[in-house]
Amino acid sequence: MTMWGGGGFGGPMGGGHTPGRPGGNLPFAGIPAELQAGVDHLLAQEPAHPAPDVSFTQVPLAADERRITLVRLITAHPLLLIGSVALVAAVATAAQAGPKLTELAIDRGMIPGHHDLAVVGLMAGLYLVATVVTALSQRWQAKVTGRLAARVLYDLRLRVFAHLQRLSLDFFTEEKAGVLMSRMTSDIENLQQLLQDGLWQFAVQALTMVVITVILFTMDVRLALLTVVMVIPVLVAMSAWFHRASARAYQRVRDGIANVLADLSESLHGFRIVVAHNRQHHNVVHHRSVVGEYRDANVATARIGALYGPGTQMVGILAQGALLAAGGTMVIRGSLSIGALVAFFLYLNRFFQPIQLLAQQYSAFQQGNASVLKLRTLLETTPSVAEAPHARPLPPIEGAITFEGVTFGYDPARPVITGVDLTIEPGQTVAFVGPTGAGKSTLAKLITRFYDPTEGRVCIDGHDLRDVTLGSLRRQLGVVPQEPFLFAGTLRDNIAFARPDAPDDDVRAAVAAVGLTDLVARLPDGLDTVVHERGQSLSSGERQLIALARAFLAQPRVLVLDEATSNLDLQSETRIEAALDVLLEARTAVLIAHRLSTAMRADWIAVVDGGRVVERGSHAELVAHGGRYAAMYETWIRQAAPEAHGQAGIGPAVPAGLAAPSAPAGG
Amino acid sequence: MTGAGPLPTPEGRPTGAPAPRYGPPRATIDRDRSKSWLRRAMPIVAAHRWTFATALALSFAGLVIQVQVPQLLNRAISDSIVRHAVPLSHYGWWVVGLGAAAGLTGFLSRLFLFRTAYAMEYDLRNVVYEHLTTLSFPFYDRVQAGQLISRANSDIRSVHLYLTFAPMILVQSAIAVVAFGYMLSINVLLALVAMVTMPFVYVIGRKMRASMFPVSWLIQARLAEVATVVDENVNGVRVVKAFAAEENQLRSLASAARRVQWATVKDADLRSQWAPAIQNLPQVGLVLVLLFGGYLVIQGHLGVGAILAFNAYLLMMQAPFTMLGMLIMMGQRAAASAGRIYELLDEEPTVVDRPGAVVLTGCRGDITFDDVRFAYGDGSGPAVLDGFCLHLDPGETVALVGATGSGKSTVARLLTRFYDVTGGAVRVDGTDVRDLTLASLRANVGVVLDEPFLFSASIAENIAYGDPGASRERIVAAAVAAGADEFVRALPAGYDTVVGERGYTLSGGQRQRVAIARTLVVNPPILVLDDATSAIDVQVELQIHDALRELMVGRTTLVIAHRLSTISLADRVVLLDGGRVVADGTHAELLATTPRYAEVLAQAEEHEAALAATATATAGATPSEVRP
Repeated sequence: MTMWGGGGFGGPMGGGHTPGRPGGNLPFAGIPAELQAGVDHLLAQEPAHPAPDVSFTQVPLAADERRITLVRLITAHPLLLIGSVALVAAVATAAQAGPKLTELAIDRGMIPGHHDLAVVGLMAGLYLVATVVTALSQRWQAKVTGRLAARVLYDLRLRVFAHLQRLSLDFFTEEKAGVLMSRMTSDIENLQQLLQDGLWQFAVQALTMVVITVILFTMDVRLALLTVVMVIPVLVAMSAWFHRASARAYQRVRDGIANVLADLSESLHGFRIVVAHNRQHHNVVHHRSVVGEYRDANVATARIGALYGPGTQMVGILAQGALLAAGGTMVIRGSLSIGALVAFFLYLNRFFQPIQLLAQQYSAFQQGNASVLKLRTLLETTPSVAEAPHARPLPPIEGAITFEGVTFGYDPARPVITGVDLTIEPGQTVAFVGPTGAGKSTLAKLITRFYDPTEGRVCIDGHDLRDVTLGSLRRQLGVVPQEPFLFAGTLRDNIAFARPDAPDDDVRAAVAAVGLTDLVARLPDGLDTVVHERGQSLSSGERQLIALARAFLAQPRVLVLDEATSNLDLQSETRIEAALDVLLEARTAVLIAHRLSTAMRADWIAVVDGGRVVERGSHAELVAHGGRYAAMYETWIRQAAPEAHGQAGIGPAVPAGLAAPSAPAGG
Repeated sequence: MTGAGPLPTPEGRPTGAPAPRYGPPRATIDRDRSKSWLRRAMPIVAAHRWTFATALALSFAGLVIQVQVPQLLNRAISDSIVRHAVPLSHYGWWVVGLGAAAGLTGFLSRLFLFRTAYAMEYDLRNVVYEHLTTLSFPFYDRVQAGQLISRANSDIRSVHLYLTFAPMILVQSAIAVVAFGYMLSINVLLALVAMVTMPFVYVIGRKMRASMFPVSWLIQARLAEVATVVDENVNGVRVVKAFAAEENQLRSLASAARRVQWATVKDADLRSQWAPAIQNLPQVGLVLVLLFGGYLVIQGHLGVGAILAFNAYLLMMQAPFTMLGMLIMMGQRAAASAGRIYELLDEEPTVVDRPGAVVLTGCRGDITFDDVRFAYGDGSGPAVLDGFCLHLDPGETVALVGATGSGKSTVARLLTRFYDVTGGAVRVDGTDVRDLTLASLRANVGVVLDEPFLFSASIAENIAYGDPGASRERIVAAAVAAGADEFVRALPAGYDTVVGERGYTLSGGQRQRVAIARTLVVNPPILVLDDATSAIDVQVELQIHDALRELMVGRTTLVIAHRLSTISLADRVVLLDGGRVVADGTHAELLATTPRYAEVLAQAEEHEAALAATATATAGATPSEVRP
């Protein structure tokens, strides 16, 4: 731990407005001591990157709607592409100057009778110039293609991530987090090598082959034709086979790595459960099988590659054998000079050399393509809750919520909510109660438009939620989910999640409102203390309070609390009651209550059961009505009563009368 | 304990399971940190030495065959075409034979090589994963999952590729030695002239290494930053959406991606500074051959053909040098990546079995916390528990009550030995938990955490998580006890319904019930409920309580409670404040004798009182009325 612990908690690095940004300040971002100086030197050269100029739109821009292909990716930056192509051509041409200059030096300077050291010197000088030109072209090519690749990948990362942000909640419940991770990491990184280097090597080699083919034809048309007729169809057939076979195999590899990462990710996120249940060994064995399948997929692609690469090589040698037979016969018959045959073989060698490299690059290309396909599938997934093309921003709302004949099911065939009609007036606090699975949380998810109703409509101030932009809707809503989630970053970042530029005073006010001032005072760096999702420095109650502070700071018109208070001990709960009173004041609020005690603080209560609102009214009205709610209330008291007696039995000192419920307080 | 059922084997899987298809990794890295990264990786390479050696030998054979082809063509021209001494078909068949041999050796060498590569990757991935499973909670507290995933992904790849392809490239480079031999045999002086640039290749290679190492490291570190943003975004998607924070998240990613972009461009720039020089220095050798060789030809010391031969040989050397440049680059990345992987593998688990640790058998369930002190982190921070003493008799049910942050959950984490105490001791049946094997301790202590994480598997598999061999009857029985049976049966595929990665398709209360069933199926003699019913509605909670009450018979239970209704499950209530037990007794005793207990509860009083009967009834006592 001390190995890299030195650089540990050093306070936030850079302007830490963005909660998601990991920063280098967390421990375990260790840097080997021998590298520190080099990295420092590098970082000293890094300019301050301007705040990224990106904006998020629910509806993808027209440019982002086109399906991605390798070609479209690289043509997105035409200037860099033209530069790359020009430099590739320069490299391929300059590198072929050598043999020609050598030939001239021999023919004009070394052949007996033509001895001329000046010519040799001149040609050597030109050769040196050509070499320098080649090196400089390569240098610039590396710079230009490096920039092109970096920009393409930057664009791609943003585009894929933005699309992930657009996808609806149902997508995230169906797809494993690790699979999404592998799209954003492994698949995109896979393109790095291809775009930076592979593609251009491929181009250089292909161009070299074209140049040499031209040279072969200028030397002897018959032999050149023979070569083309013999070699090209075989190579094309082999490449077509490789293309098909490897495309399938590389898809399997991409799936394999996605599964490996998904398994790893799940083990990491569920680590506590794994340990509590002694599952380590079982999981290790399971991971072996996932990695084993990935290995097998890789070996299968290797087999295909091993057939293709050496196969093309064999074709090259066999072609030389055939040329030897054909050309040799021609020489014996006197229709070809020996010198021409020798020169032809020399060039033929140069022709087959790039084929080898080409075959290697082609598999890199196929791998990259497999990644592009995976990314394309992701990008073509349409969000089920999409912003309508005509969506308007929701104007500042009063907070009237209406459900009109709403039916909804995660699976449309199995409705969870059926024919719900409900009106919540601005400023009212309404509690949804009912058994687990009755649809309480689902109703709340329809208000925040995490899902769209299958039938009917949900309106706020008369605006159908499907007609307004998602951002303008959710900015006026505040949600405290069942499980608080903390992002890596400071406490301040987490609280100011909805308004990263909120002034310090506002953040402190939110902290005070939920009663976290003590905690902040206790933490070593106060609001700048770094927290993250699985950090144990905060109790679940404290996390819940942070989630409340987050909602508090957002100052929403409509607040949705999903069982938010259930995770708190009584003391914390009391602490936030007061804050909630302030928060709920003059706001429309929906409480998803598991305890009738929570429900009773609402203006009125909607009893949800079997996907319908079966009763509504104030606590007193519902109890008086003698329906479902009254029954729940009865059950509660009846079931609680023996418990209280049991309690009394255990603790003999309980004063008499404690077990008896007191009368409901008025109001 | 009574009816505790067969404990899972220490390995956590039923005995008699078929041998897994995929075996353990063959080797792990060298533990000696003073060695270079390559030496530390050697055991893994050595574990695959036979396939690896075969691949290299075949590769070398293929090289020798390839070199023969030009020679054969030369002889064919002189023997068959110029002198007609041998029929042309003779050489024709030879070429065909060589071609076939080259194809075959090429195929086999590649196959063996890639097998080795992927076998080493398999080892590395499993070694890293297995090591991760041994690490303790403090490690997971300070490390982000995105960081670990990134290391397990791109870093492992760059290391295993280098381990496999570096030796291959070196073998291929042997062709340079062969070519140099031929050159020496033609003209020693010219051969030396041709090679004069080679030392520069070496020097530049070293410089390139030094300048590119930091940037390689930087790239890997920054890729991990991107991974972390994505990981959090995927796992915290509901918060992001609820607060319409998509744009902020996109900005986070954009700045992380921008930092990657800068580093990769820097990498390309540094590479462009060195790599072309390394690739073209052999060409400068050709220029010198042309100049000096031309002079020798004109002086009559050398034939023209020699110039062509030197050309061909230097061309042969070109490929190895290009590859060497690549090798240096790969080496950079691999060294940086290996450092990041070793950082992980060198992390020692802090909570481990002591030598001579005993297996906890026939657990009675006697629990003692003896003057326990505990602080998170390295132990120097503020103590969460200080002078904490508590004793639970076998079969007793104790509720632990305290304000948020008072250290209630910490008590549970110490009992299961997720963490080790900073001072004092935790004893089960009189034995310090540090003297018990972790597996046997955790098999006997069942804990329901406040975090109801479900795995992407069927509900039945999730319930049988701690005992994968559990029969369907036991799974259903546990589900019934946890109040989960009813809603599980209503799901499309019942117990075989696959739940999402974080159990999203189930509500929080449903997940908690599955989590309770998961612990009940193990049937442990000691049960810890850490805020386990907080998201369950009261009616269901009462049902569960009834079931739990039955289960608690003969079982030591520690309940970490927030609700008065939950407190009512306990025989005894313990009030935790300031890191120690400040009161201990029945609920009623505490109310009567301990002002602080009344105070903690009284803070809920106004609220509870205003809410009237329901809450009162659940609690079994109204604090306001209790007050003397």
